Amino acid sequence: MRAAAVTLAAIALLALLLPLVLPWGHADIDWNAVRAPAFTPGHPLGTDSVGRDLLVRVAVGTRITLAVALAAALVALVVGVAWGAVAGWIGGRVDEAMMRVVDALYALPFMFVVIVLMVVFGRSVLLVFLGIGAVEWLTMARVVRAQVMTLKQRPFVLASEAAGARGPAILTRHILPNTAAAAIAYLMLTVPQVVMVESFLSFLGLGVQEPLTSLGILVHDGADDMDIAPLALAVPCFVLVALVVALNRIGEGLRERMAA
Amino acid sequence: MTLYAVEHLSLEIGGARILEDVGFAVAAGGCTALVGASGSGKTMSCFAPFGLAAGRPRGSARLEGAELIGLDERALRPLRARAGFVFQQPLTALTPHLTIGAQLAESASALGGARPDRRAMAAMLDRVGLSDPEAKLDQWPHRLSGGERQRVMIACATAHGPRLLVADEPTSALDAELRHAILDVIGRLREDGLGVLLVSHDLPLVARHADRVVVMDAGRVVEDGPARAVIETPAQEVTRALIAASPRLDSPPPDLPVPGAPLIEARGIAVGFRTPGWRRGRFQAVADAGFALAEGEALAIVGRSGSGKSTLARAVARLGPCDSGAVLWRGRPLPPRARMGTAERRLIQPVFQDPAASLDPRWTVAQSIAEPLRNLIPAMDDAARAARVGAVLDEVELGERFAARRPGELSGGQAQRVAIARALAADPEAILLDEATSALDVLVAGRILALLGRLQASRRLAILAITHDLAVAHALCHRLAVMEAGRIVEIGPVPQLLASPQSAALTRLVAAQ
Repeated sequence: MRAAAVTLAAIALLALLLPLVLPWGHADIDWNAVRAPAFTPGHPLGTDSVGRDLLVRVAVGTRITLAVALAAALVALVVGVAWGAVAGWIGGRVDEAMMRVVDALYALPFMFVVIVLMVVFGRSVLLVFLGIGAVEWLTMARVVRAQVMTLKQRPFVLASEAAGARGPAILTRHILPNTAAAAIAYLMLTVPQVVMVESFLSFLGLGVQEPLTSLGILVHDGADDMDIAPLALAVPCFVLVALVVALNRIGEGLRERMAA
Repeated sequence: MTLYAVEHLSLEIGGARILEDVGFAVAAGGCTALVGASGSGKTMSCFAPFGLAAGRPRGSARLEGAELIGLDERALRPLRARAGFVFQQPLTALTPHLTIGAQLAESASALGGARPDRRAMAAMLDRVGLSDPEAKLDQWPHRLSGGERQRVMIACATAHGPRLLVADEPTSALDAELRHAILDVIGRLREDGLGVLLVSHDLPLVARHADRVVVMDAGRVVEDGPARAVIETPAQEVTRALIAASPRLDSPPPDLPVPGAPLIEARGIAVGFRTPGWRRGRFQAVADAGFALAEGEALAIVGRSGSGKSTLARAVARLGPCDSGAVLWRGRPLPPRARMGTAERRLIQPVFQDPAASLDPRWTVAQSIAEPLRNLIPAMDDAARAARVGAVLDEVELGERFAARRPGELSGGQAQRVAIARALAADPEAILLDEATSALDVLVAGRILALLGRLQASRRLAILAITHDLAVAHALCHRLAVMEAGRIVEIGPVPQLLASPQSAALTRLVAAQ
């Protein structure tokens, strides 16, 4: 888990710092070096078909991918915890109704919905945030509901009622803090999923709008030129894989630590 | 003839000495009991030689002459097959999705033996005293009661024909009524030459069933002798403490405070639950039950598990569902659960069975004890609240140094003291003890019981004690109510009821003690 944390920190740090250090912006075109090969002076990874520096584009793309992943995971956390906690706490018919809504949303073909949204509202990063978050909260709601349902059977909840605490106070002060470990562990497993989904959408051309970039767009563009500039495909792919593996490992580690 | 002999056994885990120079023996057809408080090393002494505990033991343990210590897992396995093991938790030790017959067949053949036929398996169940063994083979564990499951566990542990049975607290999770019955079953198995190694913290209980008793303390054997001699003339302080800690019915009646004016009157309480699953129905947990309790008086509600005693007490304390019936507090009706105000909540406070689960694991001791103060006495300022938390911690003999700890840093006895402190913090007139001592080890339970006795005298608390242990009722309570199948079948002064029980339920409980 330590290696994974170091990898994640290194990728995040490079993504944040490189664009500040490098002379090029992600949309700047170097007319003197269109389709420059790797290791060209000034362009360590070369440039793309319109002369934009690949190193800076990989850094910015990583930034965007991470930002989308974090934002969508946060949406999932807030909506999922609130929904699951209320359903689990109230129980009975309310729980039935709320969880059937979750089941119904699960049944929707997610890609299809996102594509329709993109077509109707046009492409925007905000829409990507919302679209992905709107799907990822479903599992979070189930996880939190199950936790709340077991926690509310515990004697300390009854003791708290005897100590005069009201329902909402018991939920926010006793039950939710005790679900935090499970919710955070699951959140850490959601982030890499969202990274994958965002990259996939961008690869299909449904995600982030040019000239802004993300790892998915870079993989897509790199795939077009893979015969002449293999690094343009290999580097974003490598970053994507390293990111997803590191995040999964951290989430897994947190879950194990919580279970112990 | 000696079947199993342990000599100079010692064990270190992470630099800490768990066992030191432990020695004992089990004769073929004999029963040796290892007795001690929790943490004394009795369970480790049983399991370490078989490679079933952490750490590498040193010394010697010979089963039928074959040395167990120092062997690797492969060499140990065939020797382990000569022993059978029974654990404490019968409710969780059986695999839920396998029928009793399937579990039994698996246990019998797992170590290379032949798969037994139905006749042989039914005979195994018959040997452990299960009624209708043929039908039981096709049932799933959830249909069986705790006592029946423990009998099945014993049948499984002996299905492969072991020479030694190791039983770790086989009766601690069971009702008093069942304890002797289970130990009798184990006793009958000895007739075929099976040696039994029994682990328990209940010295008087095992002394009736074992022929040798080994008393352990802090990883060492402190006393070893014939059962009768150990219990009648204990040579060591530890042994005397263990005997004294188990409350007994024949001890002189305690000096209880004189009850005052009537406090609680419960009338016609009924509680039903919807039974889950596709065969929906209603289960009447409590039907038309009622009792009265005066200031400073203690009433024990006893009955076997499932008799509705907890449900009744929670309904009265407004901490559980209550379908009908009235609870009068000094003549004024108590509102239903959802409408209990702070003034009413302050009247009665609960203490539950499992001390670790009744404290929020994320809260410090001080936060937990301050919770009722914060909610029930909102006028109290922070300084007064902190002073009150310190005062109740002193009252339960813990002291203020415990204030900043969390439940994970407390022992079972300490956590139960914190739960008692929380119950007392807002100065209730009555407390509800829901099996408050039954999850604790005998020595600790004895000390908690003594503490409750002192608090009862100093605070003139009314106590509603739910228990399946008549000795607890005898030590703490004025009156006794006996429940069976949701009804109160007998109620009266403790000494009188114990001397001449009228109902079948109480007769059984007294006989089991």
